[in-house]
Amino acid sequence: MTVSEPLGRWTAVETIGKGVQEAPALKSGFGLTLALAMVGAAGRLAMPILVQQSVDKGFEQGEVQVGTITTFALIGLVAVFIGTFAQRTAVLRLGTRSEEALYTLRVRLFEHIHRLSIADHNEEKKGALVARVTGDVETLAQFFAWGALAWLLEGTLMLMVASVMLAYDWILALVAFVVAAPLAFVLHRVQRHLVKAYERARVDNAQVLTSISEVISGAETLRTYNAGEQYATITKRDSHRRSNSFIKAGTIGAFLFPSGEVFSVLTVSSVVTVGLLRGPDSGLTAGALIGFVFLTYRFLEPIAQFTEVIDQTQTAVAGLRRVLGILEIPTGPPETSHPVHIPAGELDVDIQHVTFAYRSRTDDDEPPVLIDVNAHIPAGQQVAMVGETGSGKTTLGRLVARLADPTAGVVKVGGVPLTQVANAELRTRLVVVPQEPFLFEGSIAANLGFARPALSLADVEQAVIDLDLGDWLESLPDGLDTEVGQRGSSLSAGERQLVALVRASLVDPDVLVLDEATSSVDALTEVRLTRALDKLAAGRTTISIAHRLSTAARADRVLVLEHGRLVQDGPHDALVAVDGPYARMYEAWVAATTST
Amino acid sequence: MAEIAWMPDRAPVVDMTYMAAPSDLVAPTNGPLDRTGTFRAAWRLLRVLLKGHKRLFFTAVAGASVFAACTVLSAEIVGRITDDLIRPRFEEGSVGTGTVALVLGALVLVGIVRGVGVIVRRVWAGRTGWRIAEKLTGDVIDRVVEQPAPWHRRQSTGDLITRAGVDTEAATAVLQPLPFASSVVVMLALSAVWLVLTDPVLGLAAVLVFPVMLGLNIFYQRHVDTYFDAAQVELGKLSSAVHESFDGVHVVKAFGAERRETERLAVIASRLRQARIETVRLRSAFEALLDGVPNIVNVGLLIGGAYRVRAGALTVGELTSFIYLFTLLVFPLRIIGYAFSELPRSQAGWARLRQLLDEPVEVDPASKLHRRPGNAVDVVGVVVSHDGERDVLRGVDAHVDAGRTVAVVGSTGAGKTTLVHAIAGLVATSAGSITVPDGFTAVVFQEPFLFAGSVRDNVVLGAPIDDDAVRIALATAEAAFVDDLPEGLDTIVGERGVGLSGGQRQRIALARALVRRPALLLLDDTTSALDPSTEARVLANLRATLQDTTVIAVASRPSTIALADEVLYLADGVVVAHGTHDELMASSDEYAQLMQAFEHDRDELEGGDGQLGAPTGGSGVTP
Repeated sequence: MTVSEPLGRWTAVETIGKGVQEAPALKSGFGLTLALAMVGAAGRLAMPILVQQSVDKGFEQGEVQVGTITTFALIGLVAVFIGTFAQRTAVLRLGTRSEEALYTLRVRLFEHIHRLSIADHNEEKKGALVARVTGDVETLAQFFAWGALAWLLEGTLMLMVASVMLAYDWILALVAFVVAAPLAFVLHRVQRHLVKAYERARVDNAQVLTSISEVISGAETLRTYNAGEQYATITKRDSHRRSNSFIKAGTIGAFLFPSGEVFSVLTVSSVVTVGLLRGPDSGLTAGALIGFVFLTYRFLEPIAQFTEVIDQTQTAVAGLRRVLGILEIPTGPPETSHPVHIPAGELDVDIQHVTFAYRSRTDDDEPPVLIDVNAHIPAGQQVAMVGETGSGKTTLGRLVARLADPTAGVVKVGGVPLTQVANAELRTRLVVVPQEPFLFEGSIAANLGFARPALSLADVEQAVIDLDLGDWLESLPDGLDTEVGQRGSSLSAGERQLVALVRASLVDPDVLVLDEATSSVDALTEVRLTRALDKLAAGRTTISIAHRLSTAARADRVLVLEHGRLVQDGPHDALVAVDGPYARMYEAWVAATTST
Repeated sequence: MAEIAWMPDRAPVVDMTYMAAPSDLVAPTNGPLDRTGTFRAAWRLLRVLLKGHKRLFFTAVAGASVFAACTVLSAEIVGRITDDLIRPRFEEGSVGTGTVALVLGALVLVGIVRGVGVIVRRVWAGRTGWRIAEKLTGDVIDRVVEQPAPWHRRQSTGDLITRAGVDTEAATAVLQPLPFASSVVVMLALSAVWLVLTDPVLGLAAVLVFPVMLGLNIFYQRHVDTYFDAAQVELGKLSSAVHESFDGVHVVKAFGAERRETERLAVIASRLRQARIETVRLRSAFEALLDGVPNIVNVGLLIGGAYRVRAGALTVGELTSFIYLFTLLVFPLRIIGYAFSELPRSQAGWARLRQLLDEPVEVDPASKLHRRPGNAVDVVGVVVSHDGERDVLRGVDAHVDAGRTVAVVGSTGAGKTTLVHAIAGLVATSAGSITVPDGFTAVVFQEPFLFAGSVRDNVVLGAPIDDDAVRIALATAEAAFVDDLPEGLDTIVGERGVGLSGGQRQRIALARALVRRPALLLLDDTTSALDPSTEARVLANLRATLQDTTVIAVASRPSTIALADEVLYLADGVVVAHGTHDELMASSDEYAQLMQAFEHDRDELEGGDGQLGAPTGGSGVTP
């Protein structure tokens, strides 16, 4: 199962059932809400009934019974008041409960997604995850704001109208139903065309936005190649096409109301004709026939809406299915129920027969990324892992950090298998510094505090100084209060790495997993980074995922990975001396970096 | 029809299927809309927007007016049905077939005409809005293309895209409901006349209710919009928080902060929930009220009507049609409110567009470059300052002979890229002069931009260049991988096309430059994403095919620098040394140190193209 292709197996009913299970607010008190909506619908029918009663009993044969009519009217007034209040309460109940339900769903999603394995958070899946939480949940919100409300109010109204019509005169009621029935078919057809037309329009709209964004993002290229006008013409052509599509869709949509209107007058005409033919002898009254004119209007009014509401409902169910699909994805490394404590003091890392394969889009596993890797890293050792892209060194780093569990084999820290360690404890003993450190929008202090929220500002400042970064701190415009901008964009790549190092040091871990950065930084920051890194690594077991051979050369020991296997293991000097992958890499590197 | 009130007719959700995908069109709201716009401002906006599109717009208004007239007529016919058909049949026993045919025929006819009015109104309202939006988009694009590179550098790309794509649509949004809204005025006027003519006393009383209902609607719409905007703001905040949190999931996991993050997001989500519930609270009360008030009016009409019928001033049928008319008016009255609710969004969109369109076109720095025959380049005393305070280039002098390959070298922040961009005419200089060849100057950027389109499209960029030339250029750029792509030259690349590596993208961008046989080729660290051996082949091909072309390349890899004829060494915005690599190594300690640093640290074991471990035959000196 994957993020983008959720379970298509669940039927609409099953999906809604599961949705209610996740968000019970949807179900609670629904009976009462429905009853209130019924009362509201009855209130909205007060007027046609009032007209009928008045015509039949108040205006008989030219005699106007003002008293009778006033009495009816006052009863009607009370009905209107009660109905209005009931309707308001029903809408409010539906609205608050659906918002509660959506909130519950959102929080469930946040929690679940944060606990998903890192493998489910790669670039291609991330977009889908965000889309579930924002887009799909919003689709549900839209549904509750319009579609669900329509079901509640218009559904009950139609039911009530139909009942009243049948009660007045079942023959006339049948006439009305039969004449009006084809409307549903016509509307359905129009609706189908309309949905298609809007799909087309939306594609064209996306194309316009793409074209526009290209002309803007590629402005410098277009300018240097004198192609601006050509691309502007393309954009205008796309924009013209979008207009045409929307106008076409609007034209189709323009027929929805008129078709309802035409059926409405045809139905009224038929009902009146049949009513006149049957006359007073059949038991029909003038008031009931006039009432029918009003009721027919009330009955047909929501039909046009329902064709769209049904459509929206289907979209909402599909959205819910996708949302629930996310909750079905197993979460990342499972939390053990009987945690074992990691011993105090320095920690060694033991990698035993580790094999790993990522779960793939289909349920079959992909070829393994790591195959039977074995290495014991004594406490305090500085190890560099090297290898080409796809060699598995990044994955091995992740397994040591328990961002995923090996498919086979075991990783131990301080002699304890990672699967038996409580996550919260592990994160205080082992810290990963990612390749491209991520900063949250806010101050540097807030980003550092993320590691340990309980620390005081003075502690944080001390940590900066401990890493020899006091001069850097002084160079910042607002010190620790300096805002880092969106995703840390106000800082340079090197400064973001500095923040990440301090952040890691605040945890004071015993094991450090460093995913080395590849981005180039200016000379001064480079010096600061090297200094801070040395300070941070001192006395800790450090595993670097090295992208530069100079890092490997400085380490105590180098692990060379090739196609998922550990092929060489030893100090730099020893590995260079023997013929093997490391020596070849080193030669190539020397060749590339040498200018003469 | 409470819940459909915000869209014309009874078909709201249809248009919502389009509206319901906010990600397509609506930019995340960053702040509440200003809903205090004046009527006069609205009027001004309309006049400007409608310029040149009045015929479309007034056709829509005409259709809406037909609809309005037919609505009043249909109420009259319901009265006739009561008085001329039902009452004679039920009270006197019979009714003439001719009368039945006439009245019901009129009912059907008026119904059809009413429907046609709606079609005309909706179709032409749509045409008005979209044609104007289209014109605005065109204006924005023209202006964007006209503005030179320095202007573009100051803009936020996302903001510009929003203006061209979203604000144009927002500015015209008010036009869609407007014809209907104007027809409501017609409808109210006709209804008032008809009511008063039918029964001056009861009619007048009924007409007095109009302003109350109108006021209630507008009042409600204003309020609910404020609440709705507030909820949108919360939604925007939640979306960006979610984006950020998921992007930072590695950090969250590294520090075991999953629960903390969930709680943080839950707080934001609860604010959204609260804002939405507030909206629902208001909505539920008002919409029930807006349904209830006309019913209460109708009850009053019935009592008053009973007296008027007894007095002989009104027939039962006329009273029926009064009540029927009020039922029909509920919905159109709501539309007025809807039109008002679109107004602030349109005004805000329009204001942002105006800002962009009113900005004067800046002087293009490229127009200030001196041009002369031959391929030599002269840079004299060039000063460039990005922010008006700090000079990035502080008086650069350099002469490059025709046909030479020059590597621009320096540490980060030395001004290498700025120098190349100044020569390309992409950044404005504040002093000095630059002389470039008469012929074409091609620039290849560090991060090349590929357009959504085929490989061919990306190389020719609309110029009439044949496939053979494209293939030769691709071969020179070592982009033979194009032949292995699924569709060769026709393979779609760019944002939604096949995924290419950074090195592959750079080579296509390079072919784009080479195919034009430029007199001057500027490379901004272009070959950095290539592995050293590919880079060496590219540079060799370049020399072989474009002997006369002068090449100025920003370089940060010793192997690249070694391939250049000469080196221009920049530090702190000035030329420190200019000569061959060997000369500089011998004469400048700083330069030698920089090379040392490059060799030591810069090189990545994993090149962008992944062609690792292929020794390129260097001399093998240990750094």
